[in-house]
Amino acid sequence: MNPDDLKYHKEHTWLRTSGKKVTIGITNYAQDALGDIVYIDLPEVDAETEANSEIGEIESTKATSSIISPVSGKIVQVNDDLSETPEIINDDPYGKGWIAVIEIDDASELDDLMDASEYAKYVEEEAK
Amino acid sequence: MKLAILGSGPGGYVAAVRAAQLGAQVTVIEEKIIGGNCLNWGCIPTKILVSSSEMLSKAKRLQEFGIEMNGVISPNFSKILGRKDRIVSTQAKGIRNLFKMHGVTYKEGRGQLISPSQISVALTDGSSETVKTDRTILATGSRVYELPGFPYDGKHILSTEDVFKMAAIPKSLIIIGAGVSGCEFACIFRQLGTDVTLIEKMPRALTAEDSEISEIFEREMRKRGIRFLANSTIDRVDIQNSGLRILLADRREIRAEKALVSVGRALNSDGVGLENIGVRIGACGEIIVNEKMETDVSGVYAIGDVTGNRMLAHVASAEGSVAAKNSIGGEERMDYSAVPSAIFTTPEIASVGFSEQKAVELGISVRSGHFQFRALAKSHIIGEIDGMIKVVSHETSDKVLGVHIIGPHATELIHEAVLAISQGLTTRDISKIMHAHPTLSEVLQEAAADVHREAIHGPKN
Repeated sequence: MNPDDLKYHKEHTWLRTSGKKVTIGITNYAQDALGDIVYIDLPEVDAETEANSEIGEIESTKATSSIISPVSGKIVQVNDDLSETPEIINDDPYGKGWIAVIEIDDASELDDLMDASEYAKYVEEEAK
Repeated sequence: MKLAILGSGPGGYVAAVRAAQLGAQVTVIEEKIIGGNCLNWGCIPTKILVSSSEMLSKAKRLQEFGIEMNGVISPNFSKILGRKDRIVSTQAKGIRNLFKMHGVTYKEGRGQLISPSQISVALTDGSSETVKTDRTILATGSRVYELPGFPYDGKHILSTEDVFKMAAIPKSLIIIGAGVSGCEFACIFRQLGTDVTLIEKMPRALTAEDSEISEIFEREMRKRGIRFLANSTIDRVDIQNSGLRILLADRREIRAEKALVSVGRALNSDGVGLENIGVRIGACGEIIVNEKMETDVSGVYAIGDVTGNRMLAHVASAEGSVAAKNSIGGEERMDYSAVPSAIFTTPEIASVGFSEQKAVELGISVRSGHFQFRALAKSHIIGEIDGMIKVVSHETSDKVLGVHIIGPHATELIHEAVLAISQGLTTRDISKIMHAHPTLSEVLQEAAADVHREAIHGPKN
Protein backbone atom coordinates (compact mmCIF):
# COMPACT_ATOMS: atom_id res chain seq x y z
CA MET A 1 0.00 0.00 0.00
CA ASN A 2 2.56 2.61 1.08
CA PRO A 3 5.49 2.47 -1.36
CA ASP A 4 8.63 1.02 0.20
CA ASP A 5 11.00 3.47 -1.49
CA LEU A 6 9.49 6.48 0.33
CA LYS A 7 9.98 7.95 3.77
CA TYR A 8 7.08 9.05 5.95
CA HIS A 9 6.46 11.84 8.45
CA LYS A 10 4.09 11.68 11.43
CA GLU A 11 1.89 14.43 9.96
CA HIS A 12 1.09 12.07 7.09
CA THR A 13 3.36 13.35 4.39
CA TRP A 14 5.65 11.19 2.30
CA LEU A 15 9.06 12.03 0.80
CA ARG A 16 10.93 10.78 -2.22
CA THR A 17 14.61 11.68 -2.00
CA SER A 18 16.77 12.50 -4.98
CA GLY A 19 20.09 14.00 -3.92
CA LYS A 20 19.45 17.25 -2.05
CA LYS A 21 15.93 17.44 -3.41
CA VAL A 22 12.90 15.76 -1.88
CA THR A 23 9.48 15.51 -3.42
CA ILE A 24 6.66 15.53 -0.91
CA GLY A 25 2.96 14.70 -0.89
CA ILE A 26 0.29 13.46 1.48
CA THR A 27 -0.15 9.76 2.18
CA ASN A 28 -2.95 7.52 1.04
CA TYR A 29 -4.16 7.36 4.65
CA ALA A 30 -4.36 11.19 4.77
CA GLN A 31 -6.23 11.54 1.49
CA ASP A 32 -8.66 8.83 2.52
CA ALA A 33 -9.28 10.46 5.90
CA LEU A 34 -9.86 13.85 4.25
CA GLY A 35 -12.25 12.58 1.61
CA ASP A 36 -12.90 14.45 -1.63
CA ILE A 37 -10.27 17.16 -1.92
CA VAL A 38 -11.68 20.40 -3.35
CA TYR A 39 -8.90 22.95 -2.90
CA ILE A 40 -5.24 23.16 -2.08
CA ASP A 41 -3.33 26.22 -0.99
CA LEU A 42 0.12 25.49 -2.37
CA PRO A 43 3.33 26.85 -0.86
CA GLU A 44 5.16 29.56 -2.76
CA VAL A 45 8.23 28.70 -4.77
CA ASP A 46 11.41 30.07 -3.14
CA ALA A 47 9.80 30.12 0.30
CA GLU A 48 11.94 28.79 3.12
CA THR A 49 10.37 26.23 5.41
CA GLU A 50 11.17 24.54 8.70
CA ALA A 51 10.51 20.89 9.49
CA ASN A 52 7.10 20.42 11.18
CA SER A 53 5.80 23.80 10.04
CA GLU A 54 2.77 24.51 7.91
CA ILE A 55 3.45 25.07 4.22
CA GLY A 56 -0.07 24.91 2.83
CA GLU A 57 -3.62 23.90 3.40
CA ILE A 58 -5.84 21.22 1.92
CA GLU A 59 -9.60 21.49 1.90
CA SER A 60 -11.87 18.53 1.38
CA THR A 61 -15.65 18.45 1.43
CA LYS A 62 -15.43 17.33 5.09
CA ALA A 63 -12.43 19.07 6.61
CA THR A 64 -9.52 21.44 6.20
CA SER A 65 -6.05 20.29 7.07
CA SER A 66 -2.60 21.85 7.17
CA ILE A 67 0.19 20.47 5.02
CA ILE A 68 3.14 20.04 7.36
CA SER A 69 6.63 20.11 5.94
CA PRO A 70 8.61 17.01 6.97
CA VAL A 71 11.97 18.74 6.42
CA SER A 72 13.65 22.16 6.50
CA GLY A 73 14.71 23.80 3.28
CA LYS A 74 13.62 25.84 0.30
CA ILE A 75 10.57 25.13 -1.84
CA VAL A 76 11.93 24.84 -5.36
CA GLN A 77 8.90 23.54 -7.23
CA VAL A 78 5.17 23.09 -6.65
CA ASN A 79 2.62 20.98 -8.49
CA ASP A 80 0.57 23.66 -10.24
CA ASP A 81 -1.78 21.04 -11.72
CA LEU A 82 -3.30 20.75 -8.26
CA SER A 83 -4.64 24.34 -8.39
CA GLU A 84 -7.19 23.39 -11.01
CA THR A 85 -7.59 19.69 -10.23
CA PRO A 86 -6.79 19.04 -6.56
CA GLU A 87 -8.68 15.74 -6.75
CA ILE A 88 -5.56 14.22 -8.36
CA ILE A 89 -4.38 13.80 -4.77
CA ASN A 90 -7.29 11.43 -4.09
CA ASP A 91 -6.63 9.48 -7.27
CA ASP A 92 -2.86 9.21 -7.12
CA PRO A 93 -1.40 10.46 -3.81
CA TYR A 94 2.08 9.01 -4.41
CA GLY A 95 2.34 9.90 -8.09
CA LYS A 96 0.62 12.73 -9.96
CA GLY A 97 -0.65 14.07 -6.65
CA TRP A 98 2.80 15.16 -5.45
CA ILE A 99 2.69 18.61 -3.81
CA ALA A 100 6.13 20.20 -3.77
CA VAL A 101 9.86 19.73 -4.17
CA ILE A 102 12.03 20.95 -1.30
CA GLU A 103 15.77 21.46 -1.42
CA ILE A 104 16.84 20.25 2.01
CA ASP A 105 19.22 22.07 4.34
CA ASP A 106 20.17 19.16 6.55
CA ALA A 107 20.06 15.59 5.27
CA SER A 108 20.22 14.25 8.81
CA GLU A 109 16.58 15.28 9.27
CA LEU A 110 15.72 12.38 6.99
CA ASP A 111 16.97 9.97 9.62
CA ASP A 112 14.10 10.93 11.93
CA LEU A 113 11.47 9.80 9.44
CA MET A 114 9.65 6.49 9.22
CA ASP A 115 9.91 3.81 6.58
CA ALA A 116 6.81 2.21 5.04
CA SER A 117 6.34 -0.50 7.63
CA GLU A 118 6.93 1.87 10.56
CA TYR A 119 4.40 4.26 9.08
CA ALA A 120 1.86 1.46 8.63
CA LYS A 121 2.21 0.62 12.33
CA TYR A 122 2.01 4.31 13.27
CA VAL A 123 -1.25 4.71 11.35
CA GLU A 124 -2.68 1.59 12.94
CA GLU A 125 -1.88 2.97 16.40
CA GLU A 126 -3.35 6.37 15.56
CA ALA A 127 -6.58 4.83 14.30
CA LYS A 128 -7.15 3.06 17.63
CA MET B 1 -39.98 70.54 22.56
CA LYS B 2 -38.47 71.54 19.21
CA LEU B 3 -35.69 69.31 17.89
CA ALA B 4 -33.59 70.01 14.80
CA ILE B 5 -31.50 67.24 13.23
CA LEU B 6 -28.72 67.88 10.72
CA GLY B 7 -28.50 64.88 8.41
CA SER B 8 -31.00 62.22 7.34
CA GLY B 9 -28.80 59.13 7.23
CA PRO B 10 -29.45 56.06 9.40
CA GLY B 11 -28.49 58.15 12.44
CA GLY B 12 -30.55 61.24 11.67
CA TYR B 13 -33.73 59.70 10.37
CA VAL B 14 -33.98 57.13 13.17
CA ALA B 15 -33.41 59.88 15.74
CA ALA B 16 -36.14 61.93 14.03
CA VAL B 17 -38.73 59.15 14.12
CA ARG B 18 -37.85 58.18 17.70
CA ALA B 19 -38.06 61.79 18.94
CA ALA B 20 -41.37 62.28 17.12
CA GLN B 21 -42.72 59.10 18.74
CA LEU B 22 -41.77 60.64 22.08
CA GLY B 23 -43.65 63.83 21.29
CA ALA B 24 -40.97 66.20 19.97
CA GLN B 25 -41.62 68.60 17.10
CA VAL B 26 -38.87 67.53 14.72
CA THR B 27 -37.20 69.21 11.72
CA VAL B 28 -34.63 67.30 9.67
CA ILE B 29 -32.22 69.29 7.52
CA GLU B 30 -30.41 67.33 4.80
CA GLU B 31 -27.71 68.85 2.64
CA LYS B 32 -27.60 66.21 -0.08
CA ILE B 33 -30.05 63.34 -0.47
CA ILE B 34 -32.44 61.73 1.98
CA GLY B 35 -30.99 58.56 3.51
CA GLY B 36 -27.40 59.78 3.59
CA ASN B 37 -24.36 57.78 2.63
CA CYS B 38 -25.84 54.45 3.75
CA LEU B 39 -28.76 54.57 1.36
CA ASN B 40 -27.20 56.39 -1.56
CA TRP B 41 -23.55 55.32 -1.83
CA GLY B 42 -22.82 52.92 1.00
CA CYS B 43 -24.57 49.97 2.64
CA ILE B 44 -27.54 49.67 0.33
CA PRO B 45 -26.05 50.21 -3.17
CA THR B 46 -23.01 48.06 -2.46
CA LYS B 47 -25.17 45.20 -1.21
CA ILE B 48 -27.22 45.46 -4.38
CA LEU B 49 -24.00 44.96 -6.34
CA VAL B 50 -23.16 42.02 -4.08
CA SER B 51 -26.56 40.46 -4.83
CA SER B 52 -26.10 40.73 -8.59
CA SER B 53 -22.54 39.42 -8.48
CA GLU B 54 -23.52 36.46 -6.30
CA MET B 55 -26.52 35.75 -8.50
CA LEU B 56 -24.11 35.50 -11.43
CA SER B 57 -21.80 33.17 -9.52
CA LYS B 58 -24.74 30.97 -8.61
CA ALA B 59 -26.05 30.95 -12.17
CA LYS B 60 -22.67 29.67 -13.32
CA ARG B 61 -23.12 26.69 -10.99
CA LEU B 62 -26.59 25.68 -12.20
CA GLN B 63 -25.38 22.43 -13.71
CA GLU B 64 -23.84 21.39 -10.41
CA PHE B 65 -27.37 21.55 -8.99
CA GLY B 66 -28.80 19.48 -11.80
CA ILE B 67 -30.27 22.31 -13.80
CA GLU B 68 -29.51 22.49 -17.50
CA MET B 69 -28.91 25.92 -18.89
CA ASN B 70 -28.70 26.60 -22.58
CA GLY B 71 -27.57 30.11 -23.27
CA VAL B 72 -25.15 32.77 -22.24
CA ILE B 73 -25.07 34.29 -18.76
CA SER B 74 -23.43 37.67 -18.53
CA PRO B 75 -23.72 40.73 -16.31
CA ASN B 76 -25.04 44.04 -17.66
CA PHE B 77 -23.74 46.83 -15.45
CA SER B 78 -26.22 49.49 -16.52
CA LYS B 79 -29.09 47.14 -15.74
CA ILE B 80 -27.56 46.29 -12.39
CA LEU B 81 -27.34 50.03 -11.66
CA GLY B 82 -30.92 50.47 -12.85
CA ARG B 83 -32.03 47.91 -10.30
CA LYS B 84 -29.96 49.72 -7.70
CA ASP B 85 -31.65 53.04 -8.50
CA ARG B 86 -35.12 51.51 -8.17
CA ILE B 87 -34.37 49.95 -4.79
CA VAL B 88 -32.73 53.11 -3.46
CA SER B 89 -35.65 55.20 -4.59
CA THR B 90 -38.13 52.84 -2.90
CA GLN B 91 -36.16 53.07 0.33
CA ALA B 92 -35.92 56.87 0.06
CA LYS B 93 -39.68 57.05 -0.38
CA GLY B 94 -39.97 54.86 2.70
CA ILE B 95 -38.06 57.39 4.80
CA ARG B 96 -40.13 60.30 3.44
CA ASN B 97 -43.27 58.36 4.36
CA LEU B 98 -41.96 57.72 7.86
CA PHE B 99 -41.37 61.46 8.22
CA LYS B 100 -44.89 62.20 6.99
CA MET B 101 -46.42 59.60 9.26
CA HIS B 102 -44.66 61.01 12.31
CA GLY B 103 -45.11 64.67 11.39
CA VAL B 104 -41.39 65.27 10.88
CA THR B 105 -40.59 68.39 8.79
CA TYR B 106 -37.96 67.67 6.13
CA LYS B 107 -35.88 70.40 4.50
CA GLU B 108 -33.20 70.00 1.86
CA GLY B 109 -30.36 72.48 2.23
CA ARG B 110 -27.20 73.22 4.14
CA GLY B 111 -27.75 73.89 7.82
CA GLN B 112 -25.41 76.09 9.85
CA LEU B 113 -25.58 76.58 13.59
CA ILE B 114 -25.73 80.27 14.44
CA SER B 115 -26.47 79.70 18.10
CA PRO B 116 -27.57 76.65 20.13
CA SER B 117 -31.16 77.59 19.32
CA GLN B 118 -30.86 78.88 15.76
CA ILE B 119 -29.93 77.15 12.55
CA SER B 120 -29.74 79.00 9.28
CA VAL B 121 -30.58 76.84 6.31
CA ALA B 122 -29.45 77.61 2.75
CA LEU B 123 -32.18 75.70 0.94
CA THR B 124 -31.46 73.91 -2.32
CA ASP B 125 -33.91 76.19 -4.15
CA GLY B 126 -31.61 79.12 -3.39
CA SER B 127 -33.68 80.69 -0.62
CA SER B 128 -32.76 80.61 3.02
CA GLU B 129 -34.51 80.47 6.35
CA THR B 130 -33.78 80.19 10.05
CA VAL B 131 -34.98 77.20 12.03
CA LYS B 132 -35.55 77.83 15.73
CA THR B 133 -34.92 74.92 18.00
CA ASP B 134 -34.63 73.85 21.64
CA ARG B 135 -32.34 70.88 21.01
CA THR B 136 -30.11 69.86 18.11
CA ILE B 137 -28.73 66.52 16.96
CA LEU B 138 -25.72 66.61 14.63
CA ALA B 139 -25.83 63.62 12.31
CA THR B 140 -23.78 65.00 9.45
CA GLY B 141 -21.87 61.79 8.77
CA SER B 142 -18.71 61.40 6.74
CA ARG B 143 -17.51 61.63 3.17
CA VAL B 144 -14.99 59.85 0.97
CA TYR B 145 -11.43 60.58 1.98
CA GLU B 146 -9.00 61.64 -0.70
CA LEU B 147 -5.59 60.00 -0.43
CA PRO B 148 -2.82 62.58 -0.90
CA GLY B 149 -1.29 62.19 -4.37
CA PHE B 150 -4.32 60.21 -5.48
CA PRO B 151 -6.91 62.75 -6.62
CA TYR B 152 -10.18 61.26 -7.77
CA ASP B 153 -10.80 61.92 -11.45
CA GLY B 154 -13.84 59.67 -11.77
CA LYS B 155 -12.28 58.06 -14.81
CA HIS B 156 -9.10 56.27 -13.78
CA ILE B 157 -9.00 56.90 -10.06
CA LEU B 158 -12.34 56.24 -8.49
CA SER B 159 -13.84 56.87 -5.09
CA THR B 160 -16.32 54.37 -3.65
CA GLU B 161 -19.03 56.73 -4.95
CA ASP B 162 -17.61 56.92 -8.49
CA VAL B 163 -18.09 53.16 -8.85
CA PHE B 164 -21.78 53.77 -9.32
CA LYS B 165 -21.11 56.10 -12.25
CA MET B 166 -19.04 53.64 -14.29
CA ALA B 167 -20.45 52.84 -17.72
CA ALA B 168 -19.30 49.24 -17.70
CA ILE B 169 -17.59 46.60 -15.62
CA PRO B 170 -13.83 47.25 -15.85
CA LYS B 171 -11.64 44.50 -17.28
CA SER B 172 -9.09 45.09 -14.56
CA LEU B 173 -9.22 46.98 -11.29
CA ILE B 174 -6.73 47.87 -8.57
CA ILE B 175 -8.35 48.38 -5.19
CA ILE B 176 -6.38 50.35 -2.63
CA GLY B 177 -7.18 49.43 0.96
CA ALA B 178 -8.28 46.00 2.19
CA GLY B 179 -10.71 47.28 4.79
CA VAL B 180 -14.39 46.42 4.75
CA SER B 181 -15.41 48.21 1.58
CA GLY B 182 -12.19 47.41 -0.30
CA CYS B 183 -12.70 43.70 0.36
CA GLU B 184 -16.39 43.90 -0.54
CA PHE B 185 -15.63 45.61 -3.85
CA ALA B 186 -12.87 43.08 -4.58
CA CYS B 187 -15.37 40.21 -4.23
CA ILE B 188 -18.07 42.04 -6.19
CA PHE B 189 -15.92 42.84 -9.21
CA ARG B 190 -14.09 39.52 -9.24
CA GLN B 191 -17.44 37.75 -9.48
CA LEU B 192 -18.49 40.12 -12.26
CA GLY B 193 -15.41 38.99 -14.18
CA THR B 194 -12.90 41.75 -13.41
CA ASP B 195 -9.23 41.00 -12.89
CA VAL B 196 -8.81 42.38 -9.33
CA THR B 197 -5.65 43.34 -7.43
CA LEU B 198 -6.18 44.40 -3.82
CA ILE B 199 -3.40 46.42 -2.19
CA GLU B 200 -3.02 46.86 1.57
CA LYS B 201 -0.27 48.54 3.54
CA MET B 202 -0.94 46.45 6.67
CA PRO B 203 0.19 42.80 6.93
CA ARG B 204 -3.34 41.41 6.55
CA ALA B 205 -6.78 42.14 5.18
CA LEU B 206 -9.58 43.27 7.52
CA THR B 207 -7.30 44.12 10.42
CA ALA B 208 -10.24 44.82 12.74
CA GLU B 209 -11.32 41.17 12.53
CA ASP B 210 -9.89 38.16 14.37
CA SER B 211 -6.66 37.12 12.62
CA GLU B 212 -7.94 33.58 11.94
CA ILE B 213 -10.82 35.12 10.00
CA SER B 214 -8.48 37.32 7.95
CA GLU B 215 -6.32 34.31 7.19
CA ILE B 216 -9.26 32.30 5.86
CA PHE B 217 -10.58 35.28 3.93
CA GLU B 218 -7.20 35.75 2.25
CA ARG B 219 -7.32 32.10 1.20
CA GLU B 220 -10.87 32.55 -0.12
CA MET B 221 -9.61 35.50 -2.17
CA ARG B 222 -6.82 33.34 -3.63
CA LYS B 223 -9.35 30.63 -4.47
CA ARG B 224 -11.46 33.12 -6.33
CA GLY B 225 -8.54 34.61 -8.18
CA ILE B 226 -8.24 37.94 -6.36
CA ARG B 227 -4.62 39.01 -6.20
CA PHE B 228 -3.97 40.30 -2.68
CA LEU B 229 -0.80 42.26 -1.90
CA ALA B 230 -0.26 42.85 1.82
CA ASN B 231 2.49 45.06 3.27
CA SER B 232 2.39 47.12 0.08
CA THR B 233 2.64 50.86 -0.23
CA ILE B 234 2.27 52.88 -3.37
CA ASP B 235 5.19 54.84 -4.67
CA ARG B 236 3.84 56.33 -7.86
CA VAL B 237 0.79 56.40 -10.07
CA ASP B 238 0.96 57.06 -13.80
CA ILE B 239 -2.22 57.67 -15.71
CA GLN B 240 -1.99 56.39 -19.25
CA ASN B 241 -4.46 56.38 -22.11
CA SER B 242 -5.59 52.85 -21.63
CA GLY B 243 -5.57 52.88 -17.86
CA LEU B 244 -3.05 53.37 -15.14
CA ARG B 245 0.18 51.99 -13.81
CA ILE B 246 0.96 51.77 -10.12
CA LEU B 247 4.49 51.41 -8.88
CA LEU B 248 4.80 49.89 -5.43
CA ALA B 249 7.51 50.83 -2.95
CA ASP B 250 9.10 47.40 -3.51
CA ARG B 251 9.39 48.24 -7.25
CA ARG B 252 6.61 45.92 -8.33
CA GLU B 253 4.46 47.34 -11.09
CA ILE B 254 0.74 46.79 -11.53
CA ARG B 255 -1.37 47.91 -14.45
CA ALA B 256 -5.13 48.13 -14.60
CA GLU B 257 -7.94 49.91 -16.36
CA LYS B 258 -9.03 51.69 -13.17
CA ALA B 259 -8.10 52.09 -9.52
CA LEU B 260 -10.61 52.29 -6.69
CA VAL B 261 -9.47 54.00 -3.51
CA SER B 262 -11.07 52.78 -0.32
CA VAL B 263 -9.04 54.11 2.58
CA GLY B 264 -11.26 55.49 5.29
CA ARG B 265 -13.49 58.51 5.49
CA ALA B 266 -13.34 62.20 6.36
CA LEU B 267 -15.75 63.48 9.01
CA ASN B 268 -18.35 66.14 8.22
CA SER B 269 -17.76 68.30 11.26
CA ASP B 270 -16.61 71.28 9.21
CA GLY B 271 -18.83 73.91 7.64
CA VAL B 272 -21.79 73.45 9.93
CA GLY B 273 -20.98 76.31 12.31
CA LEU B 274 -19.80 74.25 15.27
CA GLU B 275 -17.27 76.97 16.05
CA ASN B 276 -20.15 79.46 16.45
CA ILE B 277 -21.48 77.62 19.48
CA GLY B 278 -18.29 76.06 20.86
CA VAL B 279 -18.83 72.36 20.16
CA ARG B 280 -15.54 70.58 20.90
CA ILE B 281 -13.85 68.68 18.09
CA GLY B 282 -11.05 66.09 18.38
CA ALA B 283 -7.84 65.74 16.42
CA CYS B 284 -9.45 63.80 13.55
CA GLY B 285 -12.38 66.16 13.25
CA GLU B 286 -14.64 64.01 15.41
CA ILE B 287 -17.28 65.70 17.53
CA ILE B 288 -16.62 64.83 21.16
CA VAL B 289 -19.65 63.42 22.95
CA ASN B 290 -20.35 61.76 26.29
CA GLU B 291 -22.12 58.41 26.65
CA LYS B 292 -25.45 60.22 26.47
CA MET B 293 -24.35 61.40 22.99
CA GLU B 294 -24.32 65.01 24.20
CA THR B 295 -21.57 67.41 23.14
CA ASP B 296 -19.93 69.94 25.46
CA VAL B 297 -22.75 72.32 24.60
CA SER B 298 -25.84 71.46 26.59
CA GLY B 299 -28.76 70.43 24.40
CA VAL B 300 -26.57 69.74 21.36
CA TYR B 301 -26.02 66.05 20.57
CA ALA B 302 -23.96 64.27 17.94
CA ILE B 303 -24.38 60.75 16.56
CA GLY B 304 -23.03 58.46 13.85
CA ASP B 305 -19.86 58.74 11.78
CA VAL B 306 -19.19 62.37 12.74
CA THR B 307 -18.47 61.28 16.33
CA GLY B 308 -15.60 59.13 15.06
CA ASN B 309 -17.05 56.05 16.78
CA ARG B 310 -17.42 52.83 14.83
CA MET B 311 -18.66 53.89 11.43
CA LEU B 312 -21.59 51.56 11.08
CA ALA B 313 -25.15 52.45 10.12
CA HIS B 314 -26.63 50.40 12.94
CA VAL B 315 -24.37 52.11 15.48
CA ALA B 316 -25.56 55.48 14.18
CA SER B 317 -29.20 54.35 14.50
CA ALA B 318 -28.67 53.15 18.08
CA GLU B 319 -26.92 56.40 18.96
CA GLY B 320 -29.74 58.32 17.25
CA SER B 321 -32.27 56.59 19.41
CA VAL B 322 -30.30 57.36 22.58
CA ALA B 323 -29.78 61.01 21.59
CA ALA B 324 -33.47 61.39 20.70
CA LYS B 325 -34.59 60.13 24.10
CA ASN B 326 -32.05 62.25 25.95
CA SER B 327 -32.92 65.36 23.97
CA ILE B 328 -36.39 65.28 25.47
CA GLY B 329 -35.17 64.69 28.99
CA GLY B 330 -34.14 61.02 29.06
CA GLU B 331 -31.08 59.58 30.78
CA GLU B 332 -30.05 56.86 28.32
CA ARG B 333 -26.45 55.79 27.87
CA MET B 334 -24.94 54.17 24.78
CA ASP B 335 -23.78 50.60 25.22
CA TYR B 336 -21.18 49.39 22.73
CA SER B 337 -20.57 45.98 24.32
CA ALA B 338 -22.35 43.99 21.62
CA VAL B 339 -21.93 45.75 18.28
CA PRO B 340 -22.23 43.38 15.33
CA SER B 341 -20.01 43.92 12.34
CA ALA B 342 -21.25 42.60 8.99
CA ILE B 343 -19.00 42.37 5.95
CA PHE B 344 -20.61 41.39 2.67
CA THR B 345 -17.68 39.67 1.08
CA THR B 346 -17.91 36.23 -0.52
CA PRO B 347 -18.06 34.38 1.78
CA GLU B 348 -19.61 36.78 4.25
CA ILE B 349 -17.86 37.77 7.47
CA ALA B 350 -19.49 38.86 10.71
CA SER B 351 -18.37 39.31 14.26
CA VAL B 352 -19.34 40.63 17.66
CA GLY B 353 -17.34 41.20 20.82
CA PHE B 354 -13.67 40.54 21.39
CA SER B 355 -11.31 38.87 19.00
CA GLU B 356 -8.99 36.38 20.69
CA GLN B 357 -6.06 38.79 20.15
CA LYS B 358 -7.97 41.68 21.75
CA ALA B 359 -8.94 39.59 24.79
CA VAL B 360 -5.35 38.45 25.28
CA GLU B 361 -4.17 42.05 24.89
CA LEU B 362 -6.54 43.03 27.70
CA GLY B 363 -5.15 40.26 29.90
CA ILE B 364 -8.33 38.16 29.83
CA SER B 365 -7.86 34.38 29.92
CA VAL B 366 -9.96 32.86 27.20
CA ARG B 367 -10.91 29.58 25.62
CA SER B 368 -12.01 29.16 22.06
CA GLY B 369 -14.15 26.80 20.05
CA HIS B 370 -14.21 26.37 16.30
CA PHE B 371 -16.52 24.75 13.84
CA GLN B 372 -16.31 24.41 10.09
CA PHE B 373 -19.30 25.02 7.87
CA ARG B 374 -18.28 22.03 5.76
CA ALA B 375 -19.10 19.73 8.68
CA LEU B 376 -22.78 20.72 8.42
CA ALA B 377 -25.28 19.04 6.13
CA LYS B 378 -26.95 22.36 5.30
CA SER B 379 -23.72 23.79 3.87
CA HIS B 380 -23.52 20.87 1.44
CA ILE B 381 -27.21 21.19 0.60
CA ILE B 382 -26.81 24.83 -0.45
CA GLY B 383 -23.39 24.18 -1.97
CA GLU B 384 -21.52 26.65 0.23
CA ILE B 385 -19.08 24.75 2.41
CA ASP B 386 -16.32 27.33 2.86
CA GLY B 387 -15.71 29.02 6.16
CA MET B 388 -15.84 28.56 9.89
CA ILE B 389 -17.04 30.04 13.15
CA LYS B 390 -14.97 30.79 16.21
CA VAL B 391 -16.32 31.37 19.69
CA VAL B 392 -14.15 33.12 22.27
CA SER B 393 -15.24 32.68 25.87
CA HIS B 394 -14.04 33.64 29.34
CA GLU B 395 -11.95 30.84 30.76
CA THR B 396 -13.57 30.74 34.19
CA SER B 397 -17.06 32.23 33.82
CA ASP B 398 -17.60 30.58 30.40
CA LYS B 399 -19.38 33.75 29.23
CA VAL B 400 -19.26 34.37 25.51
CA LEU B 401 -16.86 37.25 24.82
CA GLY B 402 -16.69 37.18 21.04
CA VAL B 403 -18.00 35.32 18.03
CA HIS B 404 -16.39 35.47 14.60
CA ILE B 405 -17.89 33.96 11.50
CA ILE B 406 -16.74 33.61 7.92
CA GLY B 407 -19.13 31.62 5.79
CA PRO B 408 -22.54 31.55 4.12
CA HIS B 409 -25.07 33.97 5.66
CA ALA B 410 -22.60 34.97 8.38
CA THR B 411 -24.20 38.42 8.53
CA GLU B 412 -27.53 36.88 9.53
CA LEU B 413 -26.10 34.17 11.79
CA ILE B 414 -24.23 36.67 13.96
CA HIS B 415 -27.34 37.95 15.70
CA GLU B 416 -27.76 34.92 17.93
CA ALA B 417 -24.26 35.71 19.18
CA VAL B 418 -25.15 39.39 19.65
CA LEU B 419 -28.05 38.31 21.84
CA ALA B 420 -25.80 35.89 23.76
CA ILE B 421 -23.17 38.53 24.49
CA SER B 422 -25.65 41.27 25.35
CA GLN B 423 -27.40 38.93 27.79
CA GLY B 424 -24.23 37.49 29.29
CA LEU B 425 -24.88 33.90 28.17
CA THR B 426 -22.27 31.15 28.50
CA THR B 427 -21.12 28.72 25.83
CA ARG B 428 -22.90 25.96 27.83
CA ASP B 429 -26.14 27.97 27.56
CA ILE B 430 -25.78 28.13 23.78
CA SER B 431 -24.85 24.50 23.30
CA LYS B 432 -27.92 23.46 25.31
CA ILE B 433 -30.36 25.54 23.21
CA MET B 434 -32.01 23.49 20.46
CA HIS B 435 -31.10 24.52 16.94
CA ALA B 436 -33.28 23.32 14.09
CA HIS B 437 -31.79 20.79 11.69
CA PRO B 438 -30.67 21.09 8.97
CA THR B 439 -29.76 24.79 9.27
CA LEU B 440 -26.61 26.88 9.14
CA SER B 441 -27.45 28.10 12.66
CA GLU B 442 -26.13 24.80 13.97
CA VAL B 443 -22.60 26.22 13.60
CA LEU B 444 -22.92 28.36 16.72
CA GLN B 445 -24.22 25.50 18.82
CA GLU B 446 -21.37 23.25 17.65
CA ALA B 447 -18.67 25.90 18.13
CA ALA B 448 -19.99 26.66 21.62
CA ALA B 449 -19.80 22.92 22.38
CA ASP B 450 -16.30 22.81 20.90
CA VAL B 451 -15.13 25.26 23.56
CA HIS B 452 -15.44 22.22 25.85
CA ARG B 453 -14.40 19.83 23.07
CA GLU B 454 -17.93 18.45 22.94
CA ALA B 455 -18.97 19.25 19.37
CA ILE B 456 -20.94 16.37 17.88
CA HIS B 457 -19.69 16.80 14.32
CA GLY B 458 -16.23 18.04 15.20
CA PRO B 459 -12.94 16.20 15.15
CA LYS B 460 -12.26 13.73 17.95
CA ASN B 461 -10.02 15.14 20.65
